[in-house]
Amino acid sequence: MSVSEIVLNELEKVAGTDQVHKDLNLDLFGEKILDSFGTVELIVALSDSFGIEISPGQIDRELWATPQKIIAYFEERVKSA
Amino acid sequence: MNLIEQIDQWSRKTPGRNAHISDGQTLTYAELTQRSNALAESLSKQLPADHSPIAVQGHKEPEMLIAFLGIVKSGHPYIPLDSSLPSQRVETILETAKAAMLLTPDQVKELVKPSQADPSTHSIHHPAPEDAWYIIFTSGSTGEPKGVVITCGCLESFIHWISCEHDFAEGAETFLNQAPFSFDLSVMDLYASLVSGGTLFSLTKDMIADPKRLFQVLRHSEISCWVSTPSFAQFCLTEPAFKEQMIPQVKKFWFCGETLAPEVAGSLLERFPKAEVWNTYGPTEATVATTSIRITQEIIKRYSPLPVGKPKPDCEIHILENGADVKSGERGEIVIAGPNVSAGYIHRPDLTERAFYQVNHMRAYRTGDLGHYQDGYLFFDGRMDFQIKLHGYRIEIGDIENNLHALTSVRDAVVIPIMKNNKADYLAAFVVLKERMNKSDFEITRTLKRELGGRLPDYMIPRKFIFVEQFPMTHNGKADRRKLAEGLK
Repeated sequence: MSVSEIVLNELEKVAGTDQVHKDLNLDLFGEKILDSFGTVELIVALSDSFGIEISPGQIDRELWATPQKIIAYFEERVKSA
Repeated sequence: MNLIEQIDQWSRKTPGRNAHISDGQTLTYAELTQRSNALAESLSKQLPADHSPIAVQGHKEPEMLIAFLGIVKSGHPYIPLDSSLPSQRVETILETAKAAMLLTPDQVKELVKPSQADPSTHSIHHPAPEDAWYIIFTSGSTGEPKGVVITCGCLESFIHWISCEHDFAEGAETFLNQAPFSFDLSVMDLYASLVSGGTLFSLTKDMIADPKRLFQVLRHSEISCWVSTPSFAQFCLTEPAFKEQMIPQVKKFWFCGETLAPEVAGSLLERFPKAEVWNTYGPTEATVATTSIRITQEIIKRYSPLPVGKPKPDCEIHILENGADVKSGERGEIVIAGPNVSAGYIHRPDLTERAFYQVNHMRAYRTGDLGHYQDGYLFFDGRMDFQIKLHGYRIEIGDIENNLHALTSVRDAVVIPIMKNNKADYLAAFVVLKERMNKSDFEITRTLKRELGGRLPDYMIPRKFIFVEQFPMTHNGKADRRKLAEGLK
């Protein structure tokens, strides 16, 4: 699976909507799809999936505001791992 | 000394010490006393001395503390409302409580302008034990919130207990304030701090929503007494750097509001080896907490789930089944009797009569919680009804369902808490629509979340919406909640 597929599948599980696949610029916080507990749940799930240690204290909320931004974050992390 | 005197003494002993720090704003004890006296004087001139409640809506501004004390000193109880509460819910609360007025932090600022001459202290009201001090509104199963009246006597009983049990260092502690003031967990940190001359360190909802900022703030907080829901501590524990080096001053974690998992307590003891971990239990109707226990590694090894402790000395806990005490060790409904039990629900004698009565000449409250005793400790075994705790917030499932039913496009709705590790993880709403129209599930969800957001606070909005033609039914003709929940796993 590609990085984007892994991110979007985990995001769909946490968010409970497949819209995350359809609209990569979806405003996850503005649309109340993710709250702080959901974000941490996603961080934990994606840390496990990619085998990369990510701590909530490293995450800028702005960098996780849309599905596209989260994909970009992980593409960068996977490349530099 | 009464509670007002206990708090005001710090404006003489340590006038320059911060009573409150919130997002860069500070309030000293001298300012707190001066401004709350000024507010009391102003309110006394404006309002009749009829003890009618005054609502105050804000978030973590220093004016919230000024308002709470100023309102009480003017002879009225206060109703704390968070700024996130939708206006329709606020209206319902104001009507139910017959509130005399609604104050905001900006209005408080205006009423207590620092240039004002020192206010007279003649008009300061010192509440009698039976006078209401605050009224906190909680979720009601019918869809309307109910206001729990906490008297001065209730609060004094609670404060006396925690002060004796914890022996806070006078004028030297910093207390974490995580919960909004509308949630009675905040009473624990607010008044423990004010009576001991401590500093209340507030986290705002924007800080909590931005983990990077949150941990930066915590690093500089100098918190010595951590007061939060277990969920919030669990949330912080996902950050590997959340340990003693981040907040070296912490000497106590003090929990209330929901079940404390042994794993959370164990992780805290490992990461903060010098700190104590305390678990407490109690409904809003019995003033924040009624039982407590210090959780040690030995307790964790011996019990899972963890006990919630032993009752405070001036109250009794009964475990009842069909109105009679159960045999030792058996499970039954937890009934709390003592001076910390609320006077009832404001202007709702019907609800008050159902839940409150007298036991051994003490006021008693039927909690609706199941519990049992083992080895002298009380254990919480869940609810008898559809009330849940989600991230520490008390929610009646019926409250959400009734508000969903009130939306024009909804024919029927069932809300289910999705459980993870024996705790509610999130809410899912199963909805039968009157008409599907030509919209995607996402668009309908977005509309329903927005409409519901106009009626309920954010924490009550289900995370997932699932649209169905009809619900699976039980033999009794009711929606089969178990089957619906299983469909989501």
